[in-house]
Amino acid sequence: MTPSGLSVTSSLLWLFILGCTVGLSTLVVFLYALYISQNTNIPQWRAKNIPSHLLVVLGSGGHTAEMFSMLRRMKLDASKYTYRTYVVSSGDNFSARKAIEFETTYLNQAQKANTTDRTSAESYTIVTVPRARRVHQSYLTAPFSTLRSFWACLLVLRGRYADQKPLSSMVSPYPDAILTNGPATAVCVILAARLLRLYNFIGGFFSSRKVSRAEGLTPTDYQLRTIFIESWARVTTLSLSGKILLPFADRFLVQWPALEGKKAWKGMRKTEYVGMLVD
Amino acid sequence: MISQDESHPMKSCFVTVGATASFHLLLQAVLDEKFLAALQDAEYTHLLVQYGKDSQTLFEDLLRKYPPGSPGRHGIVIDGFDFNHAGLDREMRLAQASPAEGRNGGLIISHAGSGSILGALRLGVPLVVVPNSTLKDNHQVELARELQKQGYVVASEYQEVSVAVRRAEALRTRMLAWPPVTGTSQKRHRTLDQVMSDELGFLD
Repeated sequence: MTPSGLSVTSSLLWLFILGCTVGLSTLVVFLYALYISQNTNIPQWRAKNIPSHLLVVLGSGGHTAEMFSMLRRMKLDASKYTYRTYVVSSGDNFSARKAIEFETTYLNQAQKANTTDRTSAESYTIVTVPRARRVHQSYLTAPFSTLRSFWACLLVLRGRYADQKPLSSMVSPYPDAILTNGPATAVCVILAARLLRLYNFIGGFFSSRKVSRAEGLTPTDYQLRTIFIESWARVTTLSLSGKILLPFADRFLVQWPALEGKKAWKGMRKTEYVGMLVD
Repeated sequence: MISQDESHPMKSCFVTVGATASFHLLLQAVLDEKFLAALQDAEYTHLLVQYGKDSQTLFEDLLRKYPPGSPGRHGIVIDGFDFNHAGLDREMRLAQASPAEGRNGGLIISHAGSGSILGALRLGVPLVVVPNSTLKDNHQVELARELQKQGYVVASEYQEVSVAVRRAEALRTRMLAWPPVTGTSQKRHRTLDQVMSDELGFLD
């Protein structure tokens, strides 16, 4: 072998080793971040009068119906969850209508919604994101539309999406908690939330600010908490969204005893059986 | 919309196949002489069918076999529609007893979609759940079976739907309250509100 050939081989080898190291350490950081965040409970710090922002992802038909059934049964308190964002997929008029119905008839936001000056008093918004995959859409183009949907979800979480207004009462555009029961768009929103949190987590390493465990944390450290509720229709097996989100959701609630205690892998948080949440 | 004559209180059976998937086997099973005879035996007067977007021709073809007044019709008034985007609450309520409107309690037959199951349970109308076994993901069968075990619904195959009419009459006599009352014997779970409060860091 010629010396030049040798040097090319060795530099390729070095490149390969470097690539592996970078890849592995990224994976380790990723898994570590997942492990840490899934096993931490957030400290109690929020007084009742501090505004909070709840983001609800509305899947479609049955998922949406179940979601509002649960919100009714838990008697969602609009003075506690002061601002609500509902995410619906494009073309899903049913979910958008149900959200308006819930806000106007159940939470009595009727007068506020009917005023022409919509910016002042309204305490909720409905955001429409592109669908990840339409029914009958080819699997060839599905990855691209999923990416587009994922990007839209990222923008929604950062409060930068088309139909969103800046929230003056909030410390940050991030929602405090994300509530969802599937399917596709919910997966996008939760993964986007985790990506933002990972980004902030890694960013925290490189920025000079040194934070102690108990204090010095800004509210943004506690935002984008994710709660996934497995559909009431799932008695013995998790849904596909559920399986995907099992390692990513902070709280994974199941409504049938046979699904209790499932976890993504050793050391990760288990699913919690909470009984029937629907009414 | 549907009128009843004085002597005979109205008693409705509402069949829904859902919005997303077609369920031709269930349509064929309920638009069948055997099923109509079972309805007549249980003193039903009306049959309302939500047949789904792509099944209108099938519905009309099936109906043509039993013109009004023919013996095969068994005196049942049959009506149908594709889907109601505002939800099916109004249609389901037709199966709820209402003495003021001269209505006896009827029956709802549903594909196993959770929306329609919950809707019927809330109204306290006997429900027959017929899972669509042609669909790939079969988790609905388990839901139907579990709810039947707990005494909330009648689970049935589409072939047995005429027998299920009689089983639903038996269910009517021992309907359970919905949503389920949490007994003192049961383990206390965190409520959804508590879980959300945990994650938001509320102090209480």
